[in-house]
Amino acid sequence: MTVTVRNLTKRYGATLAIDDVSLEIRSGEIHALLGHNGAGKSTLIRCLGGGTAPSSGAIDIDGEPIQRYDPRESISRGIAVIYQHLSLIEGLSVADNLFLGQEITRAGVALDKREQHRRTRAALARVGSIAAPDTLVRDLSIGQRQLVEIAKALQRDAKLLVLDEPTAALSVAEADRLGELILDLRHQGMAILYVTHLLGEVAKLADQVTVLRNGRTVFHAPWSPAADKQRLVSVISDGAGPAHRRSRPSADVGPRFELVDVASPGLTPVSVTIAAGEVVALYGLMGAGRSRLLNTLFGRLERSGGDMRVDGQSVRIVSPASALAHGVALVPGDRQKEGLFASLPAIENTLIASMSKTSRVGMRNVQRERSVFDAIGELLSLRPHAPSLPAGRFSGGNQQKILLARWVNALSGIRVLLLDDPTQGVDVGARHEIYRVIAELAERQGLAVLVATNEPEEVMELAHRCLVMVKGRIVDEIDVAATSTDELLRAIHPDAATAA
Amino acid sequence: MPSHLSRRIVDFLLKNPLLVLLLVIVVAVQLGTGSLLSWQNMRGILIDGAIIAIVAIPCAMLVIAGYIDLSVGSTLALGGVVAGMVMNGAQGSPPVAVLLAVLAGTCVGLFNAVLVCVCGFSSFITTLGTLTAVRGVAQLLSPLPKNSFGPDFGLLGVGTLAGVPISVWIAAVLFIVAALFLVRTPAGRHVYAIGVNREAAYLSGVKVRRIPFVLFMLSGAAAGLAGTVVVARLNSAPSGQLGIGFELAVLTAILLGGIALTGGEGTMFGVAVGVLFLGILNNSLVLLGVSSFWQSVASGLALIAAIALSAVVHRVRLALDARASRSVAAGAQVT
Repeated sequence: MTVTVRNLTKRYGATLAIDDVSLEIRSGEIHALLGHNGAGKSTLIRCLGGGTAPSSGAIDIDGEPIQRYDPRESISRGIAVIYQHLSLIEGLSVADNLFLGQEITRAGVALDKREQHRRTRAALARVGSIAAPDTLVRDLSIGQRQLVEIAKALQRDAKLLVLDEPTAALSVAEADRLGELILDLRHQGMAILYVTHLLGEVAKLADQVTVLRNGRTVFHAPWSPAADKQRLVSVISDGAGPAHRRSRPSADVGPRFELVDVASPGLTPVSVTIAAGEVVALYGLMGAGRSRLLNTLFGRLERSGGDMRVDGQSVRIVSPASALAHGVALVPGDRQKEGLFASLPAIENTLIASMSKTSRVGMRNVQRERSVFDAIGELLSLRPHAPSLPAGRFSGGNQQKILLARWVNALSGIRVLLLDDPTQGVDVGARHEIYRVIAELAERQGLAVLVATNEPEEVMELAHRCLVMVKGRIVDEIDVAATSTDELLRAIHPDAATAA
Repeated sequence: MPSHLSRRIVDFLLKNPLLVLLLVIVVAVQLGTGSLLSWQNMRGILIDGAIIAIVAIPCAMLVIAGYIDLSVGSTLALGGVVAGMVMNGAQGSPPVAVLLAVLAGTCVGLFNAVLVCVCGFSSFITTLGTLTAVRGVAQLLSPLPKNSFGPDFGLLGVGTLAGVPISVWIAAVLFIVAALFLVRTPAGRHVYAIGVNREAAYLSGVKVRRIPFVLFMLSGAAAGLAGTVVVARLNSAPSGQLGIGFELAVLTAILLGGIALTGGEGTMFGVAVGVLFLGILNNSLVLLGVSSFWQSVASGLALIAAIALSAVVHRVRLALDARASRSVAAGAQVT
């Protein structure tokens, strides 16, 4: 089977998520797709999976274009997409997940459990999984779930397997096993689109390489070792280095935020000091405990021990509200679910937590609210600068600016800013603006900033210091001025040998 | 400028499609019967509407915050019965009767609030349960109807102030206070925020438990107050019949008024229109001589039709907005 993406373009409002992208994925080939967050990888995958329809262009399967962009249509045409957040149903057994919607029945009604279990075992054996058919998915590790999802794809006769950063949450050993399985599937004639930003994986697996940047294809070639690695690094990162980074705050600035042996279930106690105006990256893979630590500091998860100090004062944080009262704020990782009030105006999204500080005898002071919004909107170059436009209508980058504005406006009184994956789903142009804004705010307002991220480029561009987190433990501290993207990659993925 | 004004009017009507439908019905029925807009007739509509409105106001706020209160029909009965017990045979003092009725309603609200906001139970299930249980409490308190409450208490039902029935004054004041609260106070905006995205509100430090907690208590209090108005009008408090189906009338008015059952959307103005629409529709059917069975059929279908109309208009508005925001965004890119 050959899947041909022809001049695919997807437009969201005024932004082009992907712009005239073409590529070909053939049977028995692994096609690696690289690019930053927001480069357009996810949009391309969503089109392949039928989750969204392109604005123009087409996807051909063996020369026949997909007519209807619908998940069922994609599955029936042999495309299986394995998203980073797996789509298995946790409360169902492995076998039930494999046959969901295609149950085997006797006489058209009675579920044939034995046959389902037999076939499930066969499919699991093909992917090298040790799970039993009647285990609940909930009880499996992430790595095992991934194998189940691949088994499900095989069960549904997938001809093209799309994998979205499949090793991001895996241990090194699990990642190795997955790599072998993928090579094995390639030998059996599967077409594979492999999304990653680890060059080590590309070197081990890829037959073809495509790099997206800003929604466009900026590089495409068959993989050839040696010479290519260096070139890929520069193509992916667009030469963006630590050039725009701000100088570190001088040594005599006092500590703003101190953690002393802060402990939480699943985390090894953490001790860190962050100065006013300093940006510290909390860098690790998905599932390394970055979000857990941030949510613990913000009082959303229970802290089992240790001490937190803001400006030398020990603070007792038991809930988000108490964290905010002590000047500690979190911009959550899931913007839509945990941050935004999509149908409410931008100005209310921005001032939701600070409105009461302007009010007189309980009534909102609308003029003051407006002037605060105008000031922060201008500082962050919010586009469009439309206070009454519902927040959901802004682009991803501008939605993120609205969430930042919630904590850094003139009324908020925030001293410590925790950011969880701040550029997820943000297009490249806006990414750089968000970096600029964070750096500027940290400097101007003397914020202590802790940013959780899994992107080495983000660490390079944003942070003064980098804490490396692996499996709930901070294993290393790196001075960003004296490191490189590759060194950072090696730090969280010891086996991913990259261009050195 | 005239085109600007006409655009604003069109915009306003698009936002309130029910108002257009209401005006059409009023004009048609008035022309057909000549009696719809008589003061005598309007008075009846307004008093019935006021009783629904008093309860619909806090209930609508609960729905905006993403909750629901189905117990108000029985709470109304409980309030009515308590007032009736105080006033039985015109013995007691009317202010005490009203106060105790409101207090009884507040207790039901408190019970709902604790189960939903502290224990985290579903508001639908909890208030469905209290709907049944509180009816039983009302009947236990007063198995036989109390009646003859005397002229002073009766004023609450039939009395007027400057020619307008007292219950209508109460509803009007509540509407204004509630609208000011929702639009002009931080807590009012938090009601919407909780309804749109509770988790995000929690992470923004909004009091996501306290606000609905208070609203549940207000809803109970309002139902108790409405109960006193009803029994004052009837001059009787039959515990088994008071407020039967009242919670559905309240919910219908709220939904007609454009409050989304999914939360986060709607205005007090919309609720007022919804209450009036329901009252005028039912009254018009009576004036047109439609039999009471057909009245139920018609008012049920009208609810569906009105909501379908809102949905269509909503989609048209979204399409228009999307086009507008595209041009705004395009403009922003150019600059």
